[in-house]
Amino acid sequence: MNERCLTVPGHFEYLAQIADFVEAAARDAGWNEHEIYRVQMAVDEACSNIIEHAYGPDRQGDIQLTCCVQDVGDLVISIHDIGKPFDPTAVPEPSVRNAVENLPEGGLGLYFMRKLMDEVTFHFDEKDGNVLTMVKRRPK
Amino acid sequence: MRVAEERLADGIVRLTVDGRLDAITVPTFEQTLQRLLAEGQSRFVVDLGAVNYISSSGLRVLLTARRLARSRGGEVLLCQLHPRVREIFDMVGFLSVFGVYATCQEAANVFPPQVPAA
Repeated sequence: MNERCLTVPGHFEYLAQIADFVEAAARDAGWNEHEIYRVQMAVDEACSNIIEHAYGPDRQGDIQLTCCVQDVGDLVISIHDIGKPFDPTAVPEPSVRNAVENLPEGGLGLYFMRKLMDEVTFHFDEKDGNVLTMVKRRPK
Repeated sequence: MRVAEERLADGIVRLTVDGRLDAITVPTFEQTLQRLLAEGQSRFVVDLGAVNYISSSGLRVLLTARRLARSRGGEVLLCQLHPRVREIFDMVGFLSVFGVYATCQEAANVFPPQVPAA
Protein backbone atom coordinates (compact mmCIF):
# COMPACT_ATOMS: atom_id res chain seq x y z
CA MET A 1 0.00 0.00 0.00
CA ASN A 2 1.31 3.42 -0.98
CA GLU A 3 -0.07 6.55 0.69
CA ARG A 4 0.62 10.24 0.27
CA CYS A 5 -0.91 13.34 1.85
CA LEU A 6 -1.40 16.98 0.95
CA THR A 7 -2.81 19.85 3.03
CA VAL A 8 -3.67 23.16 1.36
CA PRO A 9 -5.79 26.17 2.31
CA GLY A 10 -9.39 25.93 1.10
CA HIS A 11 -9.07 28.44 -1.74
CA PHE A 12 -9.70 28.06 -5.45
CA GLU A 13 -6.11 28.99 -6.33
CA TYR A 14 -4.93 25.70 -4.80
CA LEU A 15 -7.02 23.54 -7.16
CA ALA A 16 -4.10 23.25 -9.61
CA GLN A 17 -1.80 21.99 -6.85
CA ILE A 18 -4.46 19.47 -5.83
CA ALA A 19 -4.77 18.29 -9.45
CA ASP A 20 -0.97 17.80 -9.66
CA PHE A 21 -1.00 15.83 -6.41
CA VAL A 22 -3.75 13.51 -7.67
CA GLU A 23 -1.98 13.08 -11.01
CA ALA A 24 1.28 12.06 -9.30
CA ALA A 25 -0.51 9.49 -7.14
CA ALA A 26 -2.42 7.99 -10.07
CA ARG A 27 0.66 8.00 -12.30
CA ASP A 28 2.69 6.15 -9.66
CA ALA A 29 -0.09 3.58 -9.59
CA GLY A 30 0.46 3.10 -13.34
CA TRP A 31 -2.81 4.63 -14.50
CA ASN A 32 -3.25 6.05 -18.00
CA GLU A 33 -4.01 9.66 -18.96
CA HIS A 34 -7.64 8.87 -19.58
CA GLU A 35 -8.24 7.52 -16.07
CA ILE A 36 -6.07 10.17 -14.42
CA TYR A 37 -8.22 12.86 -16.06
CA ARG A 38 -11.38 11.34 -14.61
CA VAL A 39 -9.99 11.12 -11.09
CA GLN A 40 -8.62 14.66 -11.28
CA MET A 41 -12.01 15.89 -12.37
CA ALA A 42 -13.83 14.16 -9.50
CA VAL A 43 -11.37 15.58 -6.96
CA ASP A 44 -11.64 19.03 -8.54
CA GLU A 45 -15.43 18.88 -8.17
CA ALA A 46 -15.17 17.70 -4.56
CA CYS A 47 -12.70 20.41 -3.55
CA SER A 48 -14.62 23.12 -5.44
CA ASN A 49 -17.74 22.15 -3.49
CA ILE A 50 -15.80 22.33 -0.20
CA ILE A 51 -14.37 25.76 -1.03
CA GLU A 52 -17.66 27.16 -2.31
CA HIS A 53 -20.18 25.54 0.03
CA ALA A 54 -18.51 24.01 3.11
CA TYR A 55 -16.24 27.01 3.71
CA GLY A 56 -17.87 29.69 1.58
CA PRO A 57 -16.90 33.35 1.92
CA ASP A 58 -17.26 33.39 5.72
CA ARG A 59 -15.15 30.43 6.81
CA GLN A 60 -11.47 29.62 6.58
CA GLY A 61 -9.97 26.18 6.72
CA ASP A 62 -7.70 23.67 5.11
CA ILE A 63 -8.37 20.80 2.77
CA GLN A 64 -6.48 17.62 3.63
CA LEU A 65 -6.15 15.02 0.92
CA THR A 66 -4.91 11.48 1.28
CA CYS A 67 -4.30 9.34 -1.80
CA CYS A 68 -3.80 5.67 -1.14
CA VAL A 69 -2.98 3.08 -3.78
CA GLN A 70 -4.08 -0.26 -2.39
CA ASP A 71 -2.30 -3.51 -3.05
CA VAL A 72 -4.97 -4.51 -5.58
CA GLY A 73 -4.31 -1.24 -7.43
CA ASP A 74 -7.47 0.63 -6.42
CA LEU A 75 -7.07 4.32 -5.69
CA VAL A 76 -8.72 5.59 -2.50
CA ILE A 77 -8.89 9.34 -2.04
CA SER A 78 -10.00 10.88 1.25
CA ILE A 79 -10.74 14.59 1.47
CA HIS A 80 -11.15 16.20 4.86
CA ASP A 81 -12.49 19.66 5.70
CA ILE A 82 -13.84 21.40 8.77
CA GLY A 83 -16.49 23.45 6.99
CA LYS A 84 -20.25 23.24 7.21
CA PRO A 85 -21.59 19.69 7.35
CA PHE A 86 -22.70 18.32 4.03
CA ASP A 87 -25.69 16.08 3.65
CA PRO A 88 -25.53 14.34 0.26
CA THR A 89 -29.00 12.92 0.75
CA ALA A 90 -30.33 16.48 0.43
CA VAL A 91 -29.14 16.51 -3.17
CA PRO A 92 -31.46 14.49 -5.38
CA GLU A 93 -29.99 12.19 -7.98
CA PRO A 94 -31.38 12.93 -11.41
CA SER A 95 -33.76 10.21 -12.48
CA VAL A 96 -33.82 11.04 -16.17
CA ARG A 97 -31.10 12.51 -18.31
CA ASN A 98 -32.64 15.90 -18.85
CA ALA A 99 -33.12 16.37 -15.11
CA VAL A 100 -29.45 17.34 -14.85
CA GLU A 101 -30.68 20.73 -16.00
CA ASN A 102 -32.64 21.16 -12.80
CA LEU A 103 -30.11 20.08 -10.20
CA PRO A 104 -29.58 22.58 -7.37
CA GLU A 105 -26.33 24.51 -6.88
CA GLY A 106 -23.58 22.05 -5.98
CA GLY A 107 -25.68 19.10 -7.07
CA LEU A 108 -24.09 18.97 -10.48
CA GLY A 109 -20.65 18.52 -8.90
CA LEU A 110 -21.90 15.63 -6.79
CA TYR A 111 -23.51 14.08 -9.85
CA PHE A 112 -20.15 14.32 -11.65
CA MET A 113 -18.30 12.70 -8.76
CA ARG A 114 -20.70 9.79 -8.66
CA LYS A 115 -20.38 9.28 -12.40
CA LEU A 116 -16.59 9.55 -12.48
CA MET A 117 -15.75 7.38 -9.47
CA ASP A 118 -16.79 3.87 -8.43
CA GLU A 119 -17.61 4.78 -4.82
CA VAL A 120 -18.41 8.11 -3.19
CA THR A 121 -19.17 8.23 0.53
CA PHE A 122 -19.54 11.09 3.01
CA HIS A 123 -18.99 11.09 6.72
CA PHE A 124 -19.59 14.02 9.04
CA ASP A 125 -18.43 14.27 12.61
CA GLU A 126 -19.22 17.36 14.69
CA LYS A 127 -15.72 17.35 16.17
CA ASP A 128 -13.65 16.16 13.23
CA GLY A 129 -15.54 17.66 10.29
CA ASN A 130 -16.39 16.26 6.85
CA VAL A 131 -14.61 13.34 5.25
CA LEU A 132 -15.37 12.46 1.66
CA THR A 133 -13.96 9.17 0.45
CA MET A 134 -13.86 8.28 -3.23
CA VAL A 135 -12.68 5.02 -4.71
CA LYS A 136 -11.62 4.35 -8.28
CA ARG A 137 -10.96 0.75 -9.07
CA ARG A 138 -7.85 -0.21 -10.98
CA PRO A 139 -8.58 0.04 -14.72
CA LYS A 140 -8.92 -3.42 -16.29
CA MET B 1 -8.93 31.41 -20.02
CA ARG B 2 -10.03 33.85 -22.71
CA VAL B 3 -13.36 34.41 -24.41
CA ALA B 4 -13.51 35.96 -27.87
CA GLU B 5 -16.78 37.32 -29.27
CA GLU B 6 -17.72 37.44 -32.90
CA ARG B 7 -21.01 38.66 -34.36
CA LEU B 8 -22.23 36.46 -37.19
CA ALA B 9 -25.18 36.91 -39.54
CA ASP B 10 -28.76 36.50 -38.30
CA GLY B 11 -28.03 37.81 -34.82
CA ILE B 12 -25.77 34.91 -33.93
CA VAL B 13 -22.92 35.50 -31.48
CA ARG B 14 -19.98 33.13 -31.62
CA LEU B 15 -18.03 32.78 -28.38
CA THR B 16 -14.64 31.13 -28.68
CA VAL B 17 -13.33 29.94 -25.34
CA ASP B 18 -9.64 29.20 -24.85
CA GLY B 19 -8.32 27.44 -21.76
CA ARG B 20 -9.76 25.67 -18.73
CA LEU B 21 -13.35 26.30 -17.72
CA ASP B 22 -13.20 25.67 -14.00
CA ALA B 23 -14.27 27.31 -10.75
CA ILE B 24 -11.60 30.00 -11.12
CA THR B 25 -12.26 31.01 -14.73
CA VAL B 26 -16.00 30.45 -14.97
CA PRO B 27 -16.97 33.89 -13.53
CA THR B 28 -15.33 35.62 -16.54
CA PHE B 29 -17.25 33.43 -18.98
CA GLU B 30 -20.46 33.93 -16.99
CA GLN B 31 -20.07 37.72 -17.05
CA THR B 32 -19.64 37.68 -20.83
CA LEU B 33 -22.78 35.60 -21.31
CA GLN B 34 -24.79 37.70 -18.87
CA ARG B 35 -23.74 40.92 -20.59
CA LEU B 36 -24.73 39.57 -24.01
CA LEU B 37 -28.05 38.29 -22.69
CA ALA B 38 -28.69 41.70 -21.09
CA GLU B 39 -27.96 43.26 -24.51
CA GLY B 40 -30.77 41.14 -25.88
CA GLN B 41 -28.65 38.49 -27.60
CA SER B 42 -30.14 35.02 -27.50
CA ARG B 43 -28.47 33.09 -30.34
CA PHE B 44 -25.15 31.67 -29.28
CA VAL B 45 -22.62 29.32 -30.80
CA VAL B 46 -19.98 28.42 -28.21
CA ASP B 47 -16.74 27.11 -29.70
CA LEU B 48 -15.10 24.82 -27.14
CA GLY B 49 -12.35 23.57 -29.46
CA ALA B 50 -9.59 25.02 -27.26
CA VAL B 51 -11.14 23.92 -23.95
CA ASN B 52 -9.62 20.68 -22.68
CA TYR B 53 -11.21 20.87 -19.24
CA ILE B 54 -14.70 21.89 -18.20
CA SER B 55 -15.92 21.44 -14.64
CA SER B 56 -19.50 21.26 -13.45
CA SER B 57 -19.40 25.01 -12.73
CA GLY B 58 -18.68 25.60 -16.43
CA LEU B 59 -21.54 23.33 -17.43
CA ARG B 60 -23.87 25.06 -15.00
CA VAL B 61 -23.13 28.42 -16.67
CA LEU B 62 -23.89 26.89 -20.08
CA LEU B 63 -27.14 25.39 -18.75
CA THR B 64 -28.23 28.71 -17.25
CA ALA B 65 -27.36 30.59 -20.45
CA ARG B 66 -29.25 28.02 -22.49
CA ARG B 67 -32.35 28.34 -20.30
CA LEU B 68 -32.32 32.15 -20.54
CA ALA B 69 -31.61 32.13 -24.28
CA ARG B 70 -34.44 29.67 -24.92
CA SER B 71 -36.87 31.73 -22.86
CA ARG B 72 -36.19 34.50 -25.39
CA GLY B 73 -36.64 32.30 -28.42
CA GLY B 74 -32.91 31.66 -28.87
CA GLU B 75 -30.55 28.80 -28.15
CA VAL B 76 -27.03 27.96 -27.01
CA LEU B 77 -25.30 25.50 -29.34
CA LEU B 78 -21.85 24.03 -28.84
CA CYS B 79 -19.22 23.08 -31.37
CA GLN B 80 -15.78 21.48 -31.79
CA LEU B 81 -15.73 19.70 -28.44
CA HIS B 82 -12.31 18.43 -27.37
CA PRO B 83 -12.44 14.59 -27.27
CA ARG B 84 -12.00 14.54 -23.47
CA VAL B 85 -14.67 17.13 -22.93
CA ARG B 86 -16.96 15.27 -25.30
CA GLU B 87 -16.45 12.08 -23.33
CA ILE B 88 -17.40 13.87 -20.10
CA PHE B 89 -20.47 15.36 -21.79
CA ASP B 90 -21.47 11.90 -22.92
CA MET B 91 -20.87 10.31 -19.54
CA VAL B 92 -23.02 12.79 -17.62
CA GLY B 93 -25.78 12.91 -20.22
CA PHE B 94 -25.08 16.38 -21.59
CA LEU B 95 -24.93 15.28 -25.21
CA SER B 96 -28.67 14.74 -25.02
CA VAL B 97 -29.21 18.16 -23.43
CA PHE B 98 -27.10 20.40 -25.67
CA GLY B 99 -26.98 20.63 -29.41
CA VAL B 100 -23.36 19.71 -30.21
CA TYR B 101 -21.89 20.18 -33.71
CA ALA B 102 -18.60 19.33 -35.37
CA THR B 103 -18.07 22.84 -36.70
CA CYS B 104 -19.23 26.33 -35.83
CA GLN B 105 -20.72 26.71 -39.31
CA GLU B 106 -22.89 23.63 -38.80
CA ALA B 107 -24.10 25.03 -35.49
CA ALA B 108 -24.80 28.47 -36.98
CA ASN B 109 -26.79 26.89 -39.81
CA VAL B 110 -29.24 25.48 -37.26
CA PHE B 111 -30.62 28.94 -36.54
CA PRO B 112 -33.36 29.99 -38.94
CA PRO B 113 -32.79 33.31 -40.76
CA GLN B 114 -33.89 36.30 -38.74
CA VAL B 115 -36.95 38.02 -40.12
CA PRO B 116 -36.38 41.80 -40.19
CA ALA B 117 -38.81 43.76 -38.02
CA ALA B 118 -41.57 45.31 -40.10
